[in-house]
Amino acid sequence: MNWLSRFLPGSGPGLSHEQQASLEAIAALPAPDLGRSHYETRYVVVNTETEPMDSGGQRLLAVGAVAINQGLLHPADAFRASLGSAPADALIGLLKFIGRSPAIVYNAPFNQGTLERAFEQNLGNVPDVDWIDLMVLMPSLYPERIAGQARMDAWLGAFGIDRIDHRDALLEALAVAQLHQVALARASVQGLTTPRDLLESQSSRKWLRGS
Amino acid sequence: MDTTASDTLIRTNLDFLRRHAPFDRMEAEALRFLGERLATAFYPAEAEILVPEDGPPRYFYIVYRGKVQARQVGSVAVTEYSTLTLGPGEGFPIGSISAERPSTNSYVAVEDSYCFQLPAADFLQLQELSPSFQLFCTRYIASLLNQSREQLQVQFSQRAAEQQTMTTSLSNLIKQAPIFVAPDLVTRSALEKMAEFGVGCLAVAGEDEKPVGVLTQSDILKRILLPGFDLTRPIAEVMTTPPHTLNGNASAYDAALEMATHGVRHILVVDTDDKLKGVISERDLFALQRIGLRQIRSGIESAADVQALQRASRDIRQLALNLLAQGIGAEQLTQFISALNDALTRRILELNLKNHDLYGVEYAWLAFGSEGRHEQTLSTDQDNGILYVLPEWADKEPLKLRLLEFAKDVNNDLAACGFPLCTGNIMASNPELCLTIDEWREKFGTWIREPHPEALLNATIFFDYRVLYGDEKLAHKLRHWLLSMTGGNPAFLKAMAANALDVAPPLGKIRDFITDDDPRHPGTIDLKKYGARLFVDAARVLSLRTGVDATSTVQRLRQGGSRIGMPAEELSAMADGFHFIQLLRLRHQHLDTDHGSSGDNRVKPDDLNELDRRILKEAFRQARKIQLRLKLDYQI
Repeated sequence: MNWLSRFLPGSGPGLSHEQQASLEAIAALPAPDLGRSHYETRYVVVNTETEPMDSGGQRLLAVGAVAINQGLLHPADAFRASLGSAPADALIGLLKFIGRSPAIVYNAPFNQGTLERAFEQNLGNVPDVDWIDLMVLMPSLYPERIAGQARMDAWLGAFGIDRIDHRDALLEALAVAQLHQVALARASVQGLTTPRDLLESQSSRKWLRGS
Repeated sequence: MDTTASDTLIRTNLDFLRRHAPFDRMEAEALRFLGERLATAFYPAEAEILVPEDGPPRYFYIVYRGKVQARQVGSVAVTEYSTLTLGPGEGFPIGSISAERPSTNSYVAVEDSYCFQLPAADFLQLQELSPSFQLFCTRYIASLLNQSREQLQVQFSQRAAEQQTMTTSLSNLIKQAPIFVAPDLVTRSALEKMAEFGVGCLAVAGEDEKPVGVLTQSDILKRILLPGFDLTRPIAEVMTTPPHTLNGNASAYDAALEMATHGVRHILVVDTDDKLKGVISERDLFALQRIGLRQIRSGIESAADVQALQRASRDIRQLALNLLAQGIGAEQLTQFISALNDALTRRILELNLKNHDLYGVEYAWLAFGSEGRHEQTLSTDQDNGILYVLPEWADKEPLKLRLLEFAKDVNNDLAACGFPLCTGNIMASNPELCLTIDEWREKFGTWIREPHPEALLNATIFFDYRVLYGDEKLAHKLRHWLLSMTGGNPAFLKAMAANALDVAPPLGKIRDFITDDDPRHPGTIDLKKYGARLFVDAARVLSLRTGVDATSTVQRLRQGGSRIGMPAEELSAMADGFHFIQLLRLRHQHLDTDHGSSGDNRVKPDDLNELDRRILKEAFRQARKIQLRLKLDYQI
């Protein structure tokens, strides 16, 4: 069953027709060829801005995303939205921006988890996205720099990447995007030449760690 | 496209660009155009960014973070300066992308680097949009030095209101046609003419209008009135000759310098045919510039004691600061400091002569080292000595003792006026440095014959001597002898050259600069030891080899260099490099002394702005160039 079917009228939490149509259009996009080279792939780096809730856990405030296309980071290819009073629109905007591109995050359990809870809550379901977590990949790509899993600022520091404002979802995505450029440079050298290679490397790594 | 998100990213690009030349002065619209179009790419260490085989470059690159090395490839011989390291804010390739031809360099990331890239078509359009960027590209290297001067002026803009005035040419300052008389005119008529035109200075010139002498108001009292000079005799008998003249193209700075150097209040201005064009008085210059040059000068001349001279010494520092603030070049500034310090030293000598009877003794007070080269900065300790003649009828010991006691008092007074005693005891009060001309010859001769390391070190200090007070002819005799000794002695010159090559410019192969590994001064470069001295030592070898009298480094380079056929532009570039390093030293010393701590020569490249870093790099490259010339000439 296509994940789209879960968004069929009546199944979501009161989405408008327009919103439904947008989701359908996204789902109708051709599935990405994960076997192409990094250079031919558009990656989207996604980051979240949250605040702690009284009940524990995190509330999603805003999302920011930056694309890496042909290995390049271009200011025109960026997205940011606050959830505010129209969280569904913000999330649909993000999904539109991602299209069917593989999505890069740092710390998937947190970022992917927060996003998926928000999708569930506001769109009624969780779309299929190819998530790649740099927190898992980086130690296998650059074991000589940092051997195990580390906090993001350790990696940013290792490559001298500026952290302009860690509270801003977009600027933080920019930093992660620069880190992803570093990751891609080494991945190709190690024979991980496609997004699929990255996804497989990530799952074997997770499996090895027993998660 | 999400415009607010894009705007945020564009703004981060612009923030970066604004911190780097030439983008910091780029027109707002052009800068925005650039910021919108820059894509960021990552290059791991050793990755090639652009190579000649790529054909005409498709992108213009700006280093965002990291280091990129330009390596010359192809038919050009690979010399040691065939590589060039580019840091953040520096763009490439400028020449080949403008000309739409393949790059002659290959550009390789020497460490993990991020670069912005701009499509070639946008690069060309940017030049159309931005006149400043176009100018930058076309004058790429040549404009660096000018920009630095401009920037220096901006830094002190509040105090630089008069910045242009002292660069005015003298021909623009002349207020009226010169008042002059013929040398055979009777003195009475000459004085009547002075009274008639109300001038304080009367020029004397022949029929060809070339000035031969000058008479000032103060001369009237001393030379005519008091001695009862016969007013029917020709003016030529009382005038000062030859007069101090400058070409009309010279600047107000030059005139002020000439006045300060010779203690005169008037300069005759001549044209290229040496014809008299006008008279410039000290007052004309003060009207231009309110800096207390006159006050300092007259304060020095009228000083009755050391306390008064201490005040003058502080004033000299203040004047130097003001001039620096006005963006005056290092060359003029050091000459100013030197001229005023000379006057100060002379006054100290004069005051001490009142307590020490040296009447009838032929001697010269010598300055060595940087003072001898007219290159004093503000934290120079004293280096001096005495050259004297022992009359046949005199006993040496008592005479030398008198000179030494005199010298000791002078040394102490100089120390009280801000010239610290020399820790190496290179002072006239040292019996080893208070010598007759024969003893100096013997001393110099030993160093030249046996150039062991200590002798060479001595040569670098003492061969730069200059007379501050006393008998100049004595010193000239010694100089001519010295040059005849060194010019014909290749072994000595080779040893001096090897000594000059002891220290290499602190240019890194990967990083821009090699900084001091002394843990007490991390990240610094001693700009005296690793900067100025490289030029000074090489220029000295050049002057000793080619018989140049001048002691200043730039003069030695210009005169000595042209004698061995080095192109004038090349020598000018070297002189510019030397001046820039001197300027950095002066700035550094000023900023430090402003805060009360003593000035030194340790500059942190990281603290310099990007442009100054670039020019400093270029200055070091010039040092390397002149060193290479020595290496080749002396097969070292």
